[in-house]
Amino acid sequence: MAEYQEVLSRVKKVTARVLNAEENEINEGSQFAWDLGAESIDSIKLVAGFDEEFGIEMDEAEAVQVQSVGEAAKFIMKYL
Amino acid sequence: MRLVIFEDKKFHNFFPIAYLRPAFELRCGHTSFYEKIIRNHPGLPVSFFCREYLAETFSSRMPRGASVNNLFTLKDDLLVFNGSLLVDDFRLEAEGNEEAAFNEDGDLLYARINKETAGKLPADDIFTFLAAAAGKIPAKKVSGLILIRYQWELIHHNPRAIDSDFRIAGKKGIEGEIHESAIVYGPVERLYLAPGAKVHPQVVIDTYSGPVTIENGAIIFPHSRIEGPCYIGPETQIFRGNIREGCSFGPVCRVGGEVEESIIHGYSNKYHDGFLGHAYVGEWVNLGALTTNSDLKNDYGNVEMYMPDETGKWRYIDTGDPKVGSFIGDHTKTSIGTFFNTGSHIGVMTLLMGTGKVLPKFIPSFAWLVEGAVTGGYGYEKLLETAKIATARRNRALTEVDRKLLDYVYELTRPEREKAIKKDRKKLLRS
Repeated sequence: MAEYQEVLSRVKKVTARVLNAEENEINEGSQFAWDLGAESIDSIKLVAGFDEEFGIEMDEAEAVQVQSVGEAAKFIMKYL
Repeated sequence: MRLVIFEDKKFHNFFPIAYLRPAFELRCGHTSFYEKIIRNHPGLPVSFFCREYLAETFSSRMPRGASVNNLFTLKDDLLVFNGSLLVDDFRLEAEGNEEAAFNEDGDLLYARINKETAGKLPADDIFTFLAAAAGKIPAKKVSGLILIRYQWELIHHNPRAIDSDFRIAGKKGIEGEIHESAIVYGPVERLYLAPGAKVHPQVVIDTYSGPVTIENGAIIFPHSRIEGPCYIGPETQIFRGNIREGCSFGPVCRVGGEVEESIIHGYSNKYHDGFLGHAYVGEWVNLGALTTNSDLKNDYGNVEMYMPDETGKWRYIDTGDPKVGSFIGDHTKTSIGTFFNTGSHIGVMTLLMGTGKVLPKFIPSFAWLVEGAVTGGYGYEKLLETAKIATARRNRALTEVDRKLLDYVYELTRPEREKAIKKDRKKLLRS
């Protein structure tokens, strides 16, 4: 659980940076497109950001399907 | 007697346009290399030899019964041609002494091998066979034949090849429809308008600099100017095109805007304004509006291109030519306002978003270019979905054989793509 929280925290940090959002306004349930205004190009940048932050190489086709911050953290954990 | 056409080992000099086809299938003039060789030797059965991974798709495009990579067919009297030889009316007579002809660089251009010799040669693969043949039969050095070594040479030789193919085809005059307000400026016998081709009002066809062929089903829409030498393939359409000298368009293309000394292989679109010059565009490419390539450096210096060598190592090559445009792999799509640098190598099935600036000179196959950075984008399957839609629009299917080929080339090009994606990740995140 602690590991998940750490991953979630880092996901929020990357999300804030990529989407120019305030980190304290991002929570586990925030949807990238609906709540945070991410456009299609942003999803590609988010995947790149997560890959860079966690030192992983996610499958792009699957990764861009992830809709929310919490789902992203769970998805990333599969690669750790 | 059998005609043998082989793809030599320097196929990498034609990447990206030869990732999905043998080098001998590339177009120069009206037709491909191999079609000219066959034209000059009518009635002979043909054996093709190419990279093994291309054999199935290439076979599927050939008439039933065509031989591809079948070493058993070498036990015959053979007329052998290097598939990168750009022949005009050169032909090898069936009767004659055995001989192997080489250029000054030691490349095999053609050979005549009789059945008795052929039957005794090792045939593990075509290169072993040919090397053994060269050791057994008289060799000679030949000059005056053109062996195309690099893809930019296709562009360089295209005007002459169009001229030669027009002459050899022997077809001239107007057999299709041409509106009375369209003008043939220059000798009308240097125009061939095939039956079923249409030229709309207010078109100018300028044959002073070279011949123009417009094939069956092609349409030239109003306010287009076509300057010879030029070849417009079957069912290709030209929309307000300023088609300058030295262009060849294969079948079912949609071409508009300014195009100069370029080859579009077939089934590709450059419908809108934008300049394409000294370029080779593969199949199923869509160039968005205002896509433009540079074909001349600001300092008029020689253009360099990023190419792999025979070991797969990538490096810049000096083309020795100040006029070199873009080489765009099959299935690539560009957004509006995409700008290509001189000597650009744009891989197969790339998806490019313009940035308002000139893009990198090398974009690896199956990459998505987002805000100037190479990325994995939405992945390979998404690119395939787009390809299925694009081919269906022209009533063609992306078959299982096509899919298998694309899968192979996807893996083949993985190293340079992954390297570029990692390298550009920080650039993407800074943008």
